[in-house]
Amino acid sequence: MTQAEIKLCSLLLQEHFGEIVEKIGVHLIRTGSQPLRVIAHDTGTSLDQVKKALCVLIQHNLVIYQVHKRGVVEYEAQCSRVLRILRYPRYIYTAKTLYNDTGELIVEELLLNGKMTMSAVVKKVADRLTETMEDGKTMDYAEVANTFVRLADTHFVQRCPLVPAAENSDAGPPPPAPTLVINEKDMYLVPKLSLIGKGKRRRSSEEDATGEPKAKRPKHTPDNKEPIPDDGIYWQANLDRFHQHFRDQAIVSAVANRMDQTSSEIVRTMLRVSEITTPSSAPFTQPLSSNEIVRSLPVGYNISKQVLDQYLTLLADDPLEFVGKSGDSGGGMYVINLHKVLGSLATATLESVVQERFGSRCARIFRLVLQKKHLEQKQVEDFAMIPAKEAKDMLYKMLSENFISLQEIPKTPDHAPSRTFYLYTVNILSAARMLLHRCYKSIANLIERRQFETKENKRLLEKSQRVEAIIASMQATGAEEAQLQEIEEMITAPERQQLETLKRNVNKLDASEIQVDETIFLLESYIESTVKR
Amino acid sequence: MAGNKGRGRAAYTFNIEAVGFSRGEKLPDVALKPPPLFPDTDYKPVPVKTGEGEEYMLALKQELRETMKRMPYFIETPEEKQDIERYSKRYMKVYKEEWIPDWRRLPREMMPRKKCKKAGPKSKKAKDTTGKGTSFTNTADVLKKIEELEKRSDGEKSDEENEEKEGSKEKSKEGDDDEEDDAAEEEEYDEEEQEEENDYINSYFEDGDDFGADSDDNMDEATY
Repeated sequence: MTQAEIKLCSLLLQEHFGEIVEKIGVHLIRTGSQPLRVIAHDTGTSLDQVKKALCVLIQHNLVIYQVHKRGVVEYEAQCSRVLRILRYPRYIYTAKTLYNDTGELIVEELLLNGKMTMSAVVKKVADRLTETMEDGKTMDYAEVANTFVRLADTHFVQRCPLVPAAENSDAGPPPPAPTLVINEKDMYLVPKLSLIGKGKRRRSSEEDATGEPKAKRPKHTPDNKEPIPDDGIYWQANLDRFHQHFRDQAIVSAVANRMDQTSSEIVRTMLRVSEITTPSSAPFTQPLSSNEIVRSLPVGYNISKQVLDQYLTLLADDPLEFVGKSGDSGGGMYVINLHKVLGSLATATLESVVQERFGSRCARIFRLVLQKKHLEQKQVEDFAMIPAKEAKDMLYKMLSENFISLQEIPKTPDHAPSRTFYLYTVNILSAARMLLHRCYKSIANLIERRQFETKENKRLLEKSQRVEAIIASMQATGAEEAQLQEIEEMITAPERQQLETLKRNVNKLDASEIQVDETIFLLESYIESTVKR
Repeated sequence: MAGNKGRGRAAYTFNIEAVGFSRGEKLPDVALKPPPLFPDTDYKPVPVKTGEGEEYMLALKQELRETMKRMPYFIETPEEKQDIERYSKRYMKVYKEEWIPDWRRLPREMMPRKKCKKAGPKSKKAKDTTGKGTSFTNTADVLKKIEELEKRSDGEKSDEENEEKEGSKEKSKEGDDDEEDDAAEEEEYDEEEQEEENDYINSYFEDGDDFGADSDDNMDEATY
């Protein structure tokens, strides 16, 4: 874990779970796995607080535990999983585009709660949907359950590891921690539930405002114990599946940009067909014959077999090698070279970063070095057709920023500079790593800036919130227009302006966070697929 | 190489012209200070992408952040007592839903010792501390709660009053905080073994089974 990652984790944990959880989480990220009492001692936090924090972290799949010899349970933080919090909006939005509002809320609830039972998700989502509907209309549990099943079928949600059913517990004291097992077969198997009912509306808002009845409610629930049919079967969002979807989208849009809409549709079809059969980390998709592709093309897309074959040949001949031909049987077998695609996308990202940071002439040198692999300084100057002095300047700038690396090849064993070749090259993997690190840093900076902006204007924000609350309550009681206006004027014009500016700034910072995370996703996928090979 | 030294010529081991300096040109000064914190950028950044999807995600992100703060998973730090109690603070409290973790999925040591109540004198002690907590460091809110509790637990406590003195000494402020919500879950966290957090060396290798009189209770929890 680099410092930048730890810093980012700390900010994310603090923003989403509070300071105590942040303290424990960051401590675990720094030190690796540790037992409970050591954590409490080292962080100077009370045992009680540590327990609560660990419960929260485990609930959200951010910490795992393991029983070591002598019965000590050790807790280990999942740093990369913490960073995924950044991507939550994108997961939710994807669920919305694929499965509408119901899917959106299901995924949102799962992400907000870490893990939930299916019945709990369905109930909660139905209630939430009912609340947004017009009076008199309600959302059926069955309908929500239906969407849930579809999400499970497409692997967007999966079961959490289960606690094995208790066997005869007479063999000594029970273990200090349960061993969670995952059954590959049942990962996406939805339990048979007969969820009948409709979403409920919260009866009134007053009940909510006092807060008193709400606190009481949980006390009553254990009394009217109804057996939960799927007790103990927890579900979580399958982030890897979402990542696979993001990757596929990136591939499709890359093909669309490079060639045309039709070819991107063909690639989309190929990806869709092999979606479930290909593991997300595989370098290639399963080979598909052109006949199969023709059959699976979406209805309404009238491409004849002949045209399709031409397109496939064109795609296979493309120098980027997104699509490869793996055989001639069945009218030609085609695969998508996922590893190559990720490499190209990462390289394109690097190129565009160089272009935006150093200008187009630097980008020219960068591309040149990328293309020719190894170049001497003199060759760079010549090939780039840039005056020697400027070319050197640019080359050194990129070298010092680690976009370009230098390879020494001595002619004699003494490494004398005058008898050594200096070759400039781009090491894509290490450049991608460097850029990724920078992205983490940028996001941490963005978050800190946002927190600073909000803190600076805390008083103003509180005031506007209060005024809004007053207006809302007056509207509810049916106040006159003039009265409302009077209250509204409690916020002066300059204050209003300041609030506007703040809102704009915060929005911009938030949007940047989301978009930097897109770059992070690309770079991470590339690094992951390269390191695995 | 050594021959070059002291001849009035810069003692570079390489041909200086290769790096782009002509013969006799003055070399740039050595930089003695760190580069500026915010260096001027030659190129302005491109504006962030906008669009329907981006805007929706932005709204989702901001909403998510707010919602997370209202979830029971957001553990707030106990506030220090302020000199002036602000009236508005009273109305800004967020009432969170309760969250009861599924203890079957968690290590046994996570589980607060609550079941012990049925047996063992120690647990009673802990319960009573709620009734007559002595550290009135918290706000008036807590006092009210305590009074409520007192009424409720009046019946049970009378015979156990002897023990409560020791118990209350050990009680720390956190314990107090937890007990202010007597509802199901919060009390579970109530930790009557506060004293043990300091001598972790002794109990480092224990898995929680060896707390003397308590060991029975631990078994109870497991079957819970």
